[in-house]
Amino acid sequence: MSLPAYQALSRPNAPHRRTEEAEGPATRRRWLQLAPEIISRRMRPSFAGSAVVIAGIGVITVAQLLLSIGLSDGAYEISSLQSSQKELARSTQALTEHTQILQSPQYLVQNAAALGMVANGNTVFLRLSDGAVLGQPSPAAASAPAVSGGLVPNVLVPPTSLAGAAATSSAAVVASAPVAPKTDPTLPWQGALPSPTTR
Amino acid sequence: MSNVRSLRARVSIAVLVIVALVGVFVVRLVDLQIVQAKDLNAASYSQRSDVVTTFGNRGSIVDANGVVLAGSVLRYTITASPRFAAPFSRTDATTRAKAEVSVAEAAAELATATGQPQADILLALTSDPTSDYAVVAKSIDVDSYNAVRALKIPYLYYVAEQARTYPNGSVAGNIVGFVGSDGQAQAGTELKENACLAGKNGIESAQTGEDGVRLPGSTVQTQSAVNGGDVVLTLNSDLQYFAQQTLAQRVQQVGGESGTVVVTEVKTGKVLVAAEYPTVDPNNVDGTAAKFRGSQIFTSTFEPGSTFKAFTAAVLVDAGAATPETHVLAPYRYVAPGGAVIRDAGFHADTKWTLTGVLMDSSNTGISMLSEAMPAQQRWDYMKKFGLGAGSEVNFPGEESGDLKDPNNLDNQTMYNTTFGQGLTVTAIQMASVYQTIANGGVRMPVRLIEGCRAADGTMTEVPAAEGQPVISQTAANATVNMLESVVTKGYASSSLQIPGYRVSAKTGTAEMSDGNGAYGSLYLTSLAGMAPSDDPQYVVSVTIAKPVTIRSALAAAPVFQKVLSQVLKTYRVQPSTVPDPELPTTY
Repeated sequence: MSLPAYQALSRPNAPHRRTEEAEGPATRRRWLQLAPEIISRRMRPSFAGSAVVIAGIGVITVAQLLLSIGLSDGAYEISSLQSSQKELARSTQALTEHTQILQSPQYLVQNAAALGMVANGNTVFLRLSDGAVLGQPSPAAASAPAVSGGLVPNVLVPPTSLAGAAATSSAAVVASAPVAPKTDPTLPWQGALPSPTTR
Repeated sequence: MSNVRSLRARVSIAVLVIVALVGVFVVRLVDLQIVQAKDLNAASYSQRSDVVTTFGNRGSIVDANGVVLAGSVLRYTITASPRFAAPFSRTDATTRAKAEVSVAEAAAELATATGQPQADILLALTSDPTSDYAVVAKSIDVDSYNAVRALKIPYLYYVAEQARTYPNGSVAGNIVGFVGSDGQAQAGTELKENACLAGKNGIESAQTGEDGVRLPGSTVQTQSAVNGGDVVLTLNSDLQYFAQQTLAQRVQQVGGESGTVVVTEVKTGKVLVAAEYPTVDPNNVDGTAAKFRGSQIFTSTFEPGSTFKAFTAAVLVDAGAATPETHVLAPYRYVAPGGAVIRDAGFHADTKWTLTGVLMDSSNTGISMLSEAMPAQQRWDYMKKFGLGAGSEVNFPGEESGDLKDPNNLDNQTMYNTTFGQGLTVTAIQMASVYQTIANGGVRMPVRLIEGCRAADGTMTEVPAAEGQPVISQTAANATVNMLESVVTKGYASSSLQIPGYRVSAKTGTAEMSDGNGAYGSLYLTSLAGMAPSDDPQYVVSVTIAKPVTIRSALAAAPVFQKVLSQVLKTYRVQPSTVPDPELPTTY
């Protein structure tokens, strides 16, 4: 509302300015009078506005906080999962390694022999077309060649492995095994050929 | 007015100063943010991050059925810092009781966990108390590693490393080869296929917090780890075991020095068995004499002897110089036109043999006289076409090519000797390939030991060529197979060779061996090579046993041939023969 205040702001030694003011003081004054009112109205603190702003800032802060808690929580989870993955990979590897050794022919032969199994190297074929027996059937010798191990060494196979336990259990199996009924080998087979009942 | 001027001057100076200052800041800013940015970032990153090597596993070597013959495993080296080796207190996990563990007690626990003597561990921990590094245990497996970690000894450090394991031991150890303790391939397929097997280690860095936990999103793979491919062999490890076992037993039984068994698939040229005695156990290389750590099948040459007569007969028939019924009156001792003197192994009166009979009774004089119908150069051309005098397609490390002398500069005696396999050298794999060619209707297939290099996604690369090369006519090849059948039905080793239900063609050999001083020694290389079933040959088996003592003829090798061939026929469920033996006449 006060023109002097405006004048005070303007530079003192700027004559053209003064001329400007002199030219149309009435119009300028009207405009200038309106402006502060508008400004002051807008400057008046609005409670709702500030509440929204503060709440916004609060929400953002809390969200940020939660996010970073979540992230670091995730980091720990990832880290622990990774270490358990490592642990599991390690045990998978150890178990695979162990299984592979158990699958090795040396181990199988050693345990088969401990169970009293012998290989029959004598090859005999039964020709289905006419039932002819090709070759001379003969029982396997107790010390059958193919299983008397040790000639194909494998240092990974433990020398004792299952052998001891197997020997005792095989004795038990032999003792308790039911005696097969004696059949006359000269009798021709009656009915359908026996087949395994595996499903 | 002077007021105004001085004001302007001050303003200008101020502006200039400000501009200069801002300029300095801008230059510095550009320098830091753009020029040096990379170095500074790197320096700061390296301060904040951990760099970890990720392992690219070395691939496995597997047989045709996927049985792992060589694989990679993790092993751990445990080191200690003796400077900090002092009694520590440990809380029992179950009882929550605290206990003081002295260095000696720790060493005892470590000894139990790693299976090493306690004294050694204690010495390592206490010998130099100022040291920061002492090896406690090397290459321990996962179980021991877990056991050691459970001890919670604070002054131990663990380093993971890759190691090789060979779960089947010496089964195909000669072919698989081994790597040294430094992880470098040293022999066999490990060495030959190193490019396929070798993995590439990766480098990974990440920022970690105080407690070692990685900051999310901070992991950077500078170089990703690449696992090596798997090498798939053509071998059948079960058959390989059977052959090695059978061979080893026989070699020991007859007091021999060494032996080999090669089984190839006739139609494809794939090697199914490459068994040797002795064979290295790659887990324990030092347990085998240095001479036998490689593969003799590929790297050792010998004079093949009478098994080579099958070749001579085949090329004579192919060139039209003879038929299976061609007559020859063979004496025990034959003096050739060029002055060479040839004798048979045992004395006999002059015998009227056909070419078939010459093979059946393995007459040196007979084959020498019949081969006069063919120029030496032509025979040599055939040898080369059969793959002799050159390494096989396998290109095994250290593979030998055998020695075919120049036929133009050869003395008359050696010229005749080559017709029955003396005076030239071959490898066991070449001999198997000669029989494969005859068995396959005269088409020589490239020898294949490797199916290829299998990447993680299952794609096969480096698959060897499988194009056959016709060498002799199918008629000549079939005639030779039929002639060789007489060896099994009527020859001296027939009772050890027959397989019920199958027609088998084979040739015996009892070759003289060089004593290393330019003369022949008193011990022989006995051999047997053949195929079955004769009506449509599917598999070739070739056996050699060097320097047997108790049996010095091919009878030493015959049972191995018969057992291995039976097992092969059973394993691959070959149909028994249906066409009867042509029973070619052996005499006239």
